Formats: sequence, structure tokens, C-alpha cells
Amino acid sequence: MKLVNLMLPFAPVRARWVRLLVAAQVAAALALWSFSGYRALPTPGEIGGAWMDLVRHQDLLAELWVSLRVSLMALGLSTLAAVTIACLSTAPLFMPLARLAAALRFLGFAGFTYVFMLVSGDAIVLRVAILAFGMTVFMVTALLADLAAMPRGRIDHCRTLGMQHWRITGELVLLGKADVILDLARQNAAIGWTLLTLVEGLTRSAGGIGALLLNQNRYFLLAGVFAIQATILVVGLAQDALLAWAKDIACPWRTLDKEPSAT
Amino acid sequence: MNAAPAYSLGERLLTIDNVSVRYDRPILDGVTGHIDNIRRQGLMQGQVVCLLGPSGIGKSQLFRCIAGLQRPHSGSVRLNGSGREVQPGEVGVVAQDYPLFDHRSVWSNLMLAARRHGRDAHEATEACLALLKKFGLTDCGLRHPMMLSGGQRQRVAIAQQLLCSSHFLLMDEPFSGLDPLSKTAVCNTLVDVSTSHELNTIIVVTHDIESAIRIADQLWLLGRSRDAQGNPVGGASIQETYDLAAMGLAWDPDIESRPEFHDLAAALKARFATL
Repeated sequence: MKLVNLMLPFAPVRARWVRLLVAAQVAAALALWSFSGYRALPTPGEIGGAWMDLVRHQDLLAELWVSLRVSLMALGLSTLAAVTIACLSTAPLFMPLARLAAALRFLGFAGFTYVFMLVSGDAIVLRVAILAFGMTVFMVTALLADLAAMPRGRIDHCRTLGMQHWRITGELVLLGKADVILDLARQNAAIGWTLLTLVEGLTRSAGGIGALLLNQNRYFLLAGVFAIQATILVVGLAQDALLAWAKDIACPWRTLDKEPSAT
Repeated sequence: MNAAPAYSLGERLLTIDNVSVRYDRPILDGVTGHIDNIRRQGLMQGQVVCLLGPSGIGKSQLFRCIAGLQRPHSGSVRLNGSGREVQPGEVGVVAQDYPLFDHRSVWSNLMLAARRHGRDAHEATEACLALLKKFGLTDCGLRHPMMLSGGQRQRVAIAQQLLCSSHFLLMDEPFSGLDPLSKTAVCNTLVDVSTSHELNTIIVVTHDIESAIRIADQLWLLGRSRDAQGNPVGGASIQETYDLAAMGLAWDPDIESRPEFHDLAAALKARFATL
């Protein structure tokens, strides 16, 4: 392969070359970061040291577990809520409700936190409720767009097989869109981690990695801040890989290619 | 000149009675036609009707009405001489993109259709196995639809619809975009389906005049009437029918070698321009 081809858009490239490029670019970025004279960011060594300190003295891993539990509960709850709303939206009566849920994505949490606080009465439940709310509205939006793009022929196909009403919804949305739902859950998991700091900031006493991050940030302990960010990044990427694997297992048809065969 | 094969007409299988559909303008205007059971001594002879017409004339609307997927604004479509209008699921429909559930395997697609027709698990399994064998798909049961070739996918889609319909099959443009060999394969499949049960009735919506003549026993030309200046007026209706069985042009595997085939194809092409 000519190296110049790597500069061309859509040029075919072998997986080995992609891995090599990623490794080279990561190494270059780390070298630049470590040896640059520009001192706005702590060095990788300082961040590593801060990470060890956070683990030893501030229970970073225990706080991470608190946050991970909240994140997973919110992910499950939001996926369930969004899929239920999307299924209901196939009936005209519930379409306004679904549209309203999608429209709420433009709103911040101000005001809602008070309502959720009154209803939940527990810091962890409050966090789960707010996170789930934040995730659900985006997932509903994406699912509604996907359902709107569904060709009428799909519904006709179900009807020609004698299916009716909710059976069609079950086949086309729950089963037929399982891959889309799992993809959106991956996206939601990432959204959850970005919202976590905000949500845990409301109830810092209940701990969590977001609360720890805010505390580090308050005292301008930048090495600690980036150590926590790096931890979130690694956990987020691992969670994403796990969900991608789950999708491949649950929806194998997504990764299948056509096999050459005779007509 | 070949002698027309002997046949007789039996009971009425499908009646299209004065079907009209209009939205902002009339689309279909009094479409009327019927299909009777064709009987041939010693043979299981189903029926194949090809519906020809130019693009945008309303073939898809008529297709949906016959499938029971859309209620006409007036008129009715009835099956088997009953007074009841056709219901979705009674007529199998194979759309142009050969719809199947991509999230299910071929076997699961077929079983879903078989079970919905009221068969128990054993009967459904037997029916699916028989169709897989009939269509040369025995190796494809565990595959997902996106692993199939176009021809295999079409055959699975036909099999799925045959499992749950009551002998009626509607096909939308099955020859579209196919090379001559593939067209022959599709023609053979359709003839095979039509001759596998006395009551099997296939209605094919197509632009492909030659393929239509090869497989049909009746041709229906859908078009709009013209005023004195030659402008189309009103909605579409059946402008002309060709009874190929009566003309001695049906059920002949070598029909393409006969001059009548080419004469009819030329006449239909000329007529097509005025529909």
C-alpha cells in the first residue's frame, strides 16, 4: 500500500494499517504531551501519580462503583421507558405523549430536580431519576425518528401475514428495532457519563466519581481531575465495548454479509 | 398454428367489482374484473393473471385493494364467491423488495407465517419443510435474509406468503431489474407455484410484456380513457383484457418460438403507449 493513499478520502485500507495508525498517533500525542514545554496540562506522569493517590486515599474505585451502579440503573430505566413510549407512539392516542417526551430534550434540569427530590426522597434514587429523565428524552427522539422513517411496506408485510395492531408493533419495534435500541443504549450510556457530574453535584454527600471530580475541580487539583476523567473514559469505553458485544450476540443479523450464491 | 389446450372454467375465485379510489383526483375509476378456476383434465392448473399498465397509472392502489390492505372508496374485492370483502392476510403479497423479517432466520420467517395460519407446531414444521424443499432452499433455513441472493430471497418471500394466504398471491414487479436468465428462473417459479394447487391464483403487476405473455393465462391492461383530443380523463380502469387461454397462448413452455407471441408482444407495446 502506498503511504500517499492514506491521505485520500475513502481509500481502502487494511485493518493492520488502521491499528498501526492508531498506535502511532496515540504515541505521538503522548510524546507531545509529555515533553512539551507548554504547561497548561499536567503531564501523564503527574496524572498517574494523582490516580494512585485517589485510589489509596479517596476511595476512587468505591466511588466509581457508586457511579457505575447509578449509571447502569438509569440506563436500564431510560431504555425501558423510551422503548415503552416508542411502542405506545404507534397508536395515535399516545403519539402526542411521545412527541412531548421528545420535546423535553430542550429543557435543562432546573425545576425538575426539585420535583424529583420531592418524589424520590433518597439521593441515589434522585440521581437515577434525573439521569434516566435526561437519557430517555434523547432516546425517544431517536426512536421516533427511526419509526417515522419505516417504510409503509414493512407494516403492510405484517398485515399480509395476518398480524394486527400491537402484534405488528411487537414485531417491528421490539424485535425488528432491537439493534437500533441497543445502539441507542450505547449512546445513552455515554450521555449518562457526561451528565453524571451534574447529577452527582446535586447530592455530593452520597459520593460517586462525579462528586469526587467536582471536589478535585473546586480545589483546582488538575492532575486529580484528569485522573478521574481518564478513569471515566476507560470505564465508558469498556461499557461501550460490552454493549456492542451484547448487540452482536443479540442481533447477529447486523453483522452478516451476503454470501455469494446462485439465483 | 398450435391447437389451444382443452380447458374449462369452474367456480369464481376472485371478483373485483367496480372498484374506485380517489384522493385529490380519481386514481381508480370502476375497475371490474374476475378470475375463474381453470380446469384442465388430469392437471393441477392454477391461474396466472398479469396486470399491465404504465407507471403511475394506479397499479399499486389496485394491488393494495386486492390484497385487502386498502379499502376502495367504492366497490369491493371478494374472494371465492363470498359476499365478504377481502381481508388483509387472505391474499399473499410479495412486494418488489421481497419483504422478510431481517431479524429472523429463514426458518423463523416461514414458521411465523405457518403458525399464524392456524397450524399446530407439527403441521407448521411439515409445511415449512415441504416449501423449503420445493423451492430448493433446504440449505438456507438457518440463514438470515440478508445472507440470501436476490433469487433466494424472492423464493423465501413467496414461500412465506404461500404459507399464510388462501391460495392467492399478488406479486409486484417480480421481473424488475433481472437479467434474461433470472427472468426465466422467476417465470419457472411462478408457473411452478401456479401448478402446485388447483386453486393457486397469482396476480402479477408488471411492465414486462414478454414475461407476462410467457406465464399468464389472462392479461389485464390498466389505463385511463381518452377524450376526443387524446387527453387522459378520469381514473384508471381495465381498458382491455386478453384471454391467452382462449387464444391458445397459455401454458406453452415454447411460446417464445411462436410468431403469435411476437405479434402479441408488439401489439401490446403499441397499445401500452395509449393507456
